[in-house]
Amino acid sequence: MSVTSRPAHYGFAEHWLPRLVLAPSFLLVLVFLYGFIAWNGALSFTASRLLPNYEWVGLAQYEALFASERWWVAVHNLFIFGVLFIGGAMAVGIVLAILLDQKIRLEGALRTIYLYPLALSFIVTGTAWGWMLNPGLGLEKLMHDWGYAGFSFDWLVNPDRSIYTIVIAGIWQSSGFVMALFLAGLRGIDDSIIKAAQIDGASLPRIYWRIILPAMRPVFFSTLMILAHIAIKSFDLVMALTGGGPGFSSDLPATFMYQMAFTRGQMGLGAASAMMMLVTVSAVVVPYLYSELRRSRHV
Amino acid sequence: MSKPWRGVLYAVLLIAALYYLLPLYVMLSTSLKTMDEIRAGNLLSLPGAISFDAWHKAWGTACTGIECSGLSGYFWNSVRMVIPAVLISTALGALNGYVLSKWRFRGSELAFAMLLFGLYIPFQVLLLPMAQTLGWFGLARSMAGLVFVHVVCGIAGTTLFFRNFYVGIPDELIKAARLDGAGFWRIFLRIVLPMSLPILMVTLIWQFTQIWNDFLFGLVFSSGESQPITVGLNNLANTSTSVKEYNVNMAAALIAALPTIAVYVLAGKYFVRGLAAGAVKG
Amino acid sequence: MGALAIKNVTKRFGDTHILKGIDIHVDSGEFLILVGPSGCGKSTLMNIIAGLESPSGGEVHIADRIVNDVAPKDRDIAMVFQSYALYPTMNVRQNIAFGLETRGVPKKEQDEVIARVAKMLQMDHLLDRKPGQLSGGQRQRVAMGRALARNPKLFLFDEPLSNLDAKLRVEMRTEIKQLHHRLKTTIVYVTHDQIEAMTLGDKIAVMKDGVIQQFGSPQQIYDTPANLFVAGFIGSPSMNFIPAHLASEGGVIGVSLQSGDAACFAPLLDSQRYAAYVGKRVIVGVRPEQWDLAADGGGLACKINLTEPTGPDTIVFTQINGIEVQARLHPRDARSPGSVLHLRPDMSKAVLFDPETEIRIG
Repeated sequence: MSVTSRPAHYGFAEHWLPRLVLAPSFLLVLVFLYGFIAWNGALSFTASRLLPNYEWVGLAQYEALFASERWWVAVHNLFIFGVLFIGGAMAVGIVLAILLDQKIRLEGALRTIYLYPLALSFIVTGTAWGWMLNPGLGLEKLMHDWGYAGFSFDWLVNPDRSIYTIVIAGIWQSSGFVMALFLAGLRGIDDSIIKAAQIDGASLPRIYWRIILPAMRPVFFSTLMILAHIAIKSFDLVMALTGGGPGFSSDLPATFMYQMAFTRGQMGLGAASAMMMLVTVSAVVVPYLYSELRRSRHV
Repeated sequence: MSKPWRGVLYAVLLIAALYYLLPLYVMLSTSLKTMDEIRAGNLLSLPGAISFDAWHKAWGTACTGIECSGLSGYFWNSVRMVIPAVLISTALGALNGYVLSKWRFRGSELAFAMLLFGLYIPFQVLLLPMAQTLGWFGLARSMAGLVFVHVVCGIAGTTLFFRNFYVGIPDELIKAARLDGAGFWRIFLRIVLPMSLPILMVTLIWQFTQIWNDFLFGLVFSSGESQPITVGLNNLANTSTSVKEYNVNMAAALIAALPTIAVYVLAGKYFVRGLAAGAVKG
Repeated sequence: MGALAIKNVTKRFGDTHILKGIDIHVDSGEFLILVGPSGCGKSTLMNIIAGLESPSGGEVHIADRIVNDVAPKDRDIAMVFQSYALYPTMNVRQNIAFGLETRGVPKKEQDEVIARVAKMLQMDHLLDRKPGQLSGGQRQRVAMGRALARNPKLFLFDEPLSNLDAKLRVEMRTEIKQLHHRLKTTIVYVTHDQIEAMTLGDKIAVMKDGVIQQFGSPQQIYDTPANLFVAGFIGSPSMNFIPAHLASEGGVIGVSLQSGDAACFAPLLDSQRYAAYVGKRVIVGVRPEQWDLAADGGGLACKINLTEPTGPDTIVFTQINGIEVQARLHPRDARSPGSVLHLRPDMSKAVLFDPETEIRIG
């Protein structure tokens, strides 16, 4: 039957044990996640600098944030990074998934290779790519050795290009993940639909374009959500690859927040930037979760 | 599909495989070279004579800021951090998932929704209040504090994993056990837990990877004696006091990556399953 | 002694009323069937008897004791589930022992019980297997064994056969009936299968929309269904519901039937009880087997549209009073589609319903 009901519980133990067992986790989350969000919100309305200082200053920190060139660089970078990283990882991942779905020998081995970067820490990824992209001995030297004497690659130390190195490393790390999710989705599609389309005389690209990819909408959206979430939280990769530099040319909101709150003694400003991140995430996540929960309730 | 097309297909797939493997090859070969060789050769050149000096240095004597005792201390810090954090967050997740799927009560759905949103909170909003609170409890920059943070931030994910798995266990099993006279704990220990091996593996591996690879909390909530390997690696690689020793950096990066790569290779099945489960999460 | 009494039990979730005042009384040793289409509330009622859900109102008595506030484990019941609900990580022996163990039965006694049950259900050779290694029928057997291990006052069966294939289902049905004869236990059995209901039950409660439509012996329900729903639900193929006018011809009350150009007047037996309905529209319920071939050329000349041979009988389809009617005939009497048969309803067994209230008349 579609109506769900809670089981009947009898006696003290059955009534209170479930609540008691859930209580510690619930309280931890309530206090240390939701309580701290409120606390951080409060800090963003104060004049806190090196130490918390509960002198109320209204929206002054937000005004300072929006007047800060560095913040806008970070937001602009997040936009560039977000679009290129999500688009790139999606494109690479989807193409690899479709290619792997063609009854490939060695599929297991290839899948393992495409996916292993995800097991690495972003710090490891950043360190490795930092070495490969470094202007002296890395890619540039390799191309010179191969005879392209005029090749120059200085993105890592070029303020106009540094953010793109983060995109490159990010796509390397996460595209295998997209591949795995889409491959699982492709495998979940009912074979008989494809057979029916083949009998109708549709070509393979047409079958993918018209039938299979549209059926992957849910996978597409959940992958988009995850990548967007990774992009907004990106911190480690920047710290390891460029440290936000040169200057602050490759800052993202997450590194901006860290710098302000923990190294530059601008606690109020850091709190305000964290709130902006939360608002951005919520704007994306809350509608998504709402629709997910509604859907699961109707299943 | 025609033969030539399949050839192209395999070529593309193999080139992609090279793209993913290249950084690993570069890391490994660089770590086995001497600095002279690095300057003389290029990224792809093979090491002439294999030298483990860079590995020794990365483990024992490389400078990470002022200290010059390599990554070994950081490595063991990470081990001591990751074990309790993974075990505690997984145990809590299993219990919460059990309650939220099999012992629902008025308000338990709301509690679940709150946990679910907790997965998406950017941790930046927690950093300042958490730093201060840990200070009040005397846990600032301590291993215990770091473990605590990882547990709090891990509960939502582990709970979701177990809850989604337990929803798939038929309610009739629980009903049958209740008619057989078993209570809350006996049903959990005798019926539910023995069925949980797959999700237990997934959660343990997922949490291990997440916590081992964490950098943000390590950077903010620990110092000196308690810093994890990711912080050590970053300090080592970005230390500006001396000439960059890329071979040592690569050896250090590999040391930091080894445990998670080992888990990935040994238990890849569970790792991928965790990813799929984590897709709901993020 | 009353083994089970349900008094005005209601259940609602928010504004949805699942059970709307259920009253049932079962004597010790009786086999009660709760039957109805899915969503009728029978499983909810079963769960309330077991104590797995609590009623919104009313009382549940087991062995003359109110058990509303008694936990399932203290109600002295055992249950067989539709999915069998065998513990997958335990072998058959452990599955049966689990309930004994939680009740603190000594190990030696447990072994005796397991031996007794295994012998009764002929499953000694399965004791060391895990549920995953058993066939559907074997799992069903183990699930029954687990319920039999204790000697409860009341057995609950929740659609225990619906996951079995047709042949096994018939075998297990017989086995359950034999078991009941042997053990003389009280059984409440939920099913949506009207054949199971008819073959197994001492008493049947037909449910729909959270209301008991009729409560009685299988024969009572078959012969004198309380309303159109019960009449249509019990019996296969279903009872024919023929709309007709009730008329009086020369003091005899009956209905006129028409098929194509042919027409006849079918008088009702003991017809004065329908006097109040003369001149009104009624629905005449005639079961497929309640049609005879009128050898004398009387009856109603019906054109055959379709035949369905089942082996022992042949179902012929025809049109009477504008609706499709099925008649179950001996194969030798059936004719091929297109030909004409003279059919006569057995009006002594026909039942009449009020088309407005759908309740049986008379």
